[in-house]
Amino acid sequence: MLEGHISKSFDGELAGMHIRVLEMGGLALDQVRAAARAYAEWDVRNAQLVIDREGALIACGTRIYDDQLTLIARRNPVASDLRAILALAKVAAELDRAGAESCKIARTVLHQSGRPGRGTSTDARHLANLATSLLRLSLEALDNLDGELAEQVIDRDQDLDEEYAAGLRRLMTRALEDPAKLEVTVEAAFALKALERIGDHARNAAQQIVGIADQAIIRR
Amino acid sequence: MNESSQSFASSPAPAVVAAAQSDGRLNLRPAGRPGTAGRLDGAGIGQSIGQTIGTVTVVDPVFSCRNVDVHYGSKHAIKGVSLDVGKKEVLAMIGPSGCGKSTFLRCLNRMNDTIPGARVTGQILLDGEDIHDPARDVVQLRARVGMVFQKPNPFPKSIYDNVAFGPRLHGLARSRADLDELVCTSLQRAGLWDEVKDRLTQSGTGLSGGQQQRLCIARTIAVKPHVILMDEPCSALDPIATARIEDLIDELKESFAIAIVTHSMQQAARVSQRTAYFHLGSLVEVGETDRIFTNPRHRLTEDYITGRFG
Repeated sequence: MLEGHISKSFDGELAGMHIRVLEMGGLALDQVRAAARAYAEWDVRNAQLVIDREGALIACGTRIYDDQLTLIARRNPVASDLRAILALAKVAAELDRAGAESCKIARTVLHQSGRPGRGTSTDARHLANLATSLLRLSLEALDNLDGELAEQVIDRDQDLDEEYAAGLRRLMTRALEDPAKLEVTVEAAFALKALERIGDHARNAAQQIVGIADQAIIRR
Repeated sequence: MNESSQSFASSPAPAVVAAAQSDGRLNLRPAGRPGTAGRLDGAGIGQSIGQTIGTVTVVDPVFSCRNVDVHYGSKHAIKGVSLDVGKKEVLAMIGPSGCGKSTFLRCLNRMNDTIPGARVTGQILLDGEDIHDPARDVVQLRARVGMVFQKPNPFPKSIYDNVAFGPRLHGLARSRADLDELVCTSLQRAGLWDEVKDRLTQSGTGLSGGQQQRLCIARTIAVKPHVILMDEPCSALDPIATARIEDLIDELKESFAIAIVTHSMQQAARVSQRTAYFHLGSLVEVGETDRIFTNPRHRLTEDYITGRFG
């Protein structure tokens, strides 16, 4: 896996980076769940929580970027180690983006510019469940460097994309029936899109994990 | 990769690789296809390694080695190594201590002849000619195949005479003017001229370590070799001197083939175009340097360069 070096401190530094990416993943998952709940219940308090916690997520990402820099500068990693370090940093970048999408959803609630109707709310809840599930599985794959699980995430993101497309179509149909609700419709479309994007980021993270896991299988 | 024009085929990747498990049984696994990312195959440490991974041959090689074995008495130091050195390239040879890389390097200019009990078998061709042909002069060989050592070893002579020694010996200059020209050019190409042009009569041993090493390089290239062998040329030098010599190696490769043995993987990665990994006397893997250091195909290579054993 990531360990097995003669230098145990190198093992430790890599393990540290791995753990910090997992911790960031946990924070990102919390953000996604809170944003989804805020949107479903039209709850300003939960929405504000997401905004307030964004700083912590970004700080995590900054720390991981520093990990990447110091590992490369100090250890001159090559081959599988180099690929693993770059992949972990890319996973962190995807988690950062997932957090940013959660904030977009949260801001929609904070604007209070029109609560989504029952139909949209149902679609959003469904998409949120899918997105959350994908992100959670991605993190599980990262934890165990499980390439097969990561491949499943990549496949299942297609389902999320299809559900998003269907949800968007339904939204447009409702908008045509009631043009007065244009602003609400636009905001709802952005929220659905944000959820779809969260799924994409989970998929992108999974793709990086497949790369790391490949080496881990060989070493095992 | 290119095939050589000789009849010896490049080693195909084995279809099945026998890997020694820790309980002593053999585990037969399908070997990876060349170029497949992440597919490593390899035997356990200490077991027979099997065929070399990667293409040992090059188009139009300067050196062409086939099934070279070296024994020091009963010790089997090099085991059936086949490897080409190409023109205008730097070939780096890496591996843990005792892997045979320096022994193999010394085969190329028959330095092993000077070691009692050393026995070299197999075929080594320089520009198509067998270097062990009794009709050939080994002193001539060592002009065509120069060597730079780890510890700079300038002669206890003037800077001028250090560089002029070889050309004088081999009759390469017809006049004093010719010799002056040759010394000047060699020192320029070694990046030393500006620093020593006003003190050519001073002793070579009075220079700094980095300068001495460049003097040794100038001395080597003064006899117009085809190949320059370097055995850890920078290990005794500071980082700045090292960087200057690595730059020099990059320039020299336009005129000479260079084979360099180095303990520093970073140096091998910086200066070479091809890298060969040796392990316990066998050539485990050879390939383009960029690929070896980003995606090696043999587990032993991967483990060595990532510092998982050595």
